[in-house]
Amino acid sequence: MKLKLFCPTILAVFATMVAVAQSPKLRVVATLTDVADLTRNVGGDFVEVRSLATGIEDTHGVPMKPSFVSLLNRADLVVLVGFDCEHAFLPALLEASRNPRIQPGKPGYVDCSKGISPRDVPKSTDHSEGDVHSYGNPHYTLDPVLMKSAVNTICAALIAAAPEHEADFVKNRDAYLAKLDAEMAEWQATLAPFKGTKFVSYHEHWPYFAERFGLVYFGTIELKPGIDPTPHHIQELINTMKAEHVPLVVREPQFPEKVPALIAKQTGATLVKLPIMPGGVPDTDTYIAEMDYIIHTVADALKK
Amino acid sequence: MIAQAQETNEVEQLKQQLRQMQENFEKVQNEQRQQINALTQKLDELSKQQQAAATTVISVPPASAMSDRLKELDEKVDGVVEAQKKTLMSEFNPAIGFVGETIFSQQSKGSPQNGTGYPGGFDVYQRSVELNASASVDPFAKAWVVANGSADASTGETSLGIEEAALQTTSLPWDLTLTAGQFFGEYGRLSYIHDHELPFVNRPLVLDEYIGGESKTPGAQLSWLLPVEHYVNLTTGFGTQFGDSPDAVGSYRSFGAVNYYGRLSTYFDLTPDWQLEGGASWLVNPDSGNVNGELAPNGITTLTSTRRLVLDGDLKLSYVPLRNNQFNSLTWGTEVLYSDNQYLANNRANNFNETVGAWGMYSYLTYKWSRSWSGGFLFEYTQNNQENAAQTYGYSPYLTWAISHWNQLRLQYTHTQPNAATGNQPNDAVYLQWVWIIGAHTHGWQAR
Repeated sequence: MKLKLFCPTILAVFATMVAVAQSPKLRVVATLTDVADLTRNVGGDFVEVRSLATGIEDTHGVPMKPSFVSLLNRADLVVLVGFDCEHAFLPALLEASRNPRIQPGKPGYVDCSKGISPRDVPKSTDHSEGDVHSYGNPHYTLDPVLMKSAVNTICAALIAAAPEHEADFVKNRDAYLAKLDAEMAEWQATLAPFKGTKFVSYHEHWPYFAERFGLVYFGTIELKPGIDPTPHHIQELINTMKAEHVPLVVREPQFPEKVPALIAKQTGATLVKLPIMPGGVPDTDTYIAEMDYIIHTVADALKK
Repeated sequence: MIAQAQETNEVEQLKQQLRQMQENFEKVQNEQRQQINALTQKLDELSKQQQAAATTVISVPPASAMSDRLKELDEKVDGVVEAQKKTLMSEFNPAIGFVGETIFSQQSKGSPQNGTGYPGGFDVYQRSVELNASASVDPFAKAWVVANGSADASTGETSLGIEEAALQTTSLPWDLTLTAGQFFGEYGRLSYIHDHELPFVNRPLVLDEYIGGESKTPGAQLSWLLPVEHYVNLTTGFGTQFGDSPDAVGSYRSFGAVNYYGRLSTYFDLTPDWQLEGGASWLVNPDSGNVNGELAPNGITTLTSTRRLVLDGDLKLSYVPLRNNQFNSLTWGTEVLYSDNQYLANNRANNFNETVGAWGMYSYLTYKWSRSWSGGFLFEYTQNNQENAAQTYGYSPYLTWAISHWNQLRLQYTHTQPNAATGNQPNDAVYLQWVWIIGAHTHGWQAR
């Protein structure tokens, strides 16, 4: 009886080890769906990319599932947004993965924030300011131009991990950047008529986006990062939005609708639901599709 | 000669550390310089544009806009410099944080009849002030220290102790991790969680009874993540103390008098939103001798433990919706323990061996309906592990208000219903627990 149980277990362990050893593709685990999509575009057929997030989560609230530990344990590379965006789940998962190749500082730890100048670097990380990120706002992923830097970082990491495919990675990268540039021209033209328009959002996801597209980021519904709004804060926000004629309220899908809807109703602003990474709403499976959705949803709302 | 060699070795190690720190410093400095150069270049370009604009008649942005832009870039440069300084600080210092936990309580019965450890009537109890420090030791290990200042629940007398001080490898081959020192041994589900991280106010009765509260152990533990796609983790360890077992067994301790323990745990993604974790644990001390027990019933005056065996099974089913898990979740956790201890008993006339099999369990359900609010219910049942006829039931509804990640209030009502064999009386208690955290705080993967 004991032998019957023992043999299949040993065989399963052995088969997995052999399968892992023979895998020809680079095994990449991306934290969020945006950097996962960029990695797929650059890596093409030479990489197998798994994302920890599915796209509908909050960037700071991806659940720490033990199944992620097994995934990370076998990864050649981990690709992350950086600037502490994944602080709530990645450090513990990396520690539990026991994979020395992907620990911070190792070549397999691909931090896409490298080379990007952060916005809103706090002078102090005191908790009276909420759950602030000590390196600055990490949500640069909603700026397609800054994401070009992330594409280059990913490409360099893939080349370092599999130099035999350098030509393919470079070709893929160039093709993707050209595509992104073409889309970018169209996106900027779409939002050009709304330059200077103010908007608020639930969490501070949008300062990079606002700067890139000439909009003005007016404030957050949250009291502070990670802290729910108080009635006083909501009232103050409504008053200032009315005074400044802010026409747009953005709700990220992972946050409750009640308060943003109330603010929109009280101020006469239009409420829109915008994803913060690919997959956040239907038909936004890629980074370009996500940005396209965001740009056209904002433009349509402001045309009203 | 040996001393000289050791000194040389130490000098070499210090030199190596210094070299490494210098390299790190230079690396960060270079990155910072590159970023400053890039921004300076951008500033120069904008200044040139401003000068050119002054000599042309084509439409230009107003001077105030340009000035704002320059100011913004200046702030960015400052920001980058500040961020780099923070990076350097965290590289050279351990992360340090404090956790404070105060409990206001009202018990209907006095101590010790209420069986809670709290005095009767109203009480304010500073259960702990925990100091955490952790950092990498070198490329091969990390270490942490948890010092805990706490007051005795009944006397109020304060004491300071080292709860944990341990080193853990970070680069062993074959997915192994070795922990050594004093730490919370991986046993069951909630015995290696610190008090302030429990989903309710007090540690379940059965864990207090069979383990002695937290699974604190001075010893060593080896953990292995099995190399299969499915998550399976196996941990085994030993310690001269485990929970409330003794750290001294007289003038000589054989290996047979050491606590040996282990845990096998696994996990299933039932759906993207539903998770199931399970585990089985064991703890055995083959020769736990010289543990003086309390006065026991049935004419037995003393019980001396001669062998300790505690088996444990645990299960946690969670609904963690991917979309909004910070605002909504449901957790059902259950842990069942079976204690099979051997004692040398004395009834004033004779000494005789007695084996007592006893079991106990707890089960709780917690529902979170907003980022700040959650509530639940805890059911407990335990048999005394020296006298299994002595049984206690516990019922505890609780309500938690997490004002922020670092500031939490919990209100709990507990009714305990012991039978006559326990010598205790039914008790009604109300607890208000206030937990706060300052500085860095994490207990890592285990406390997820």
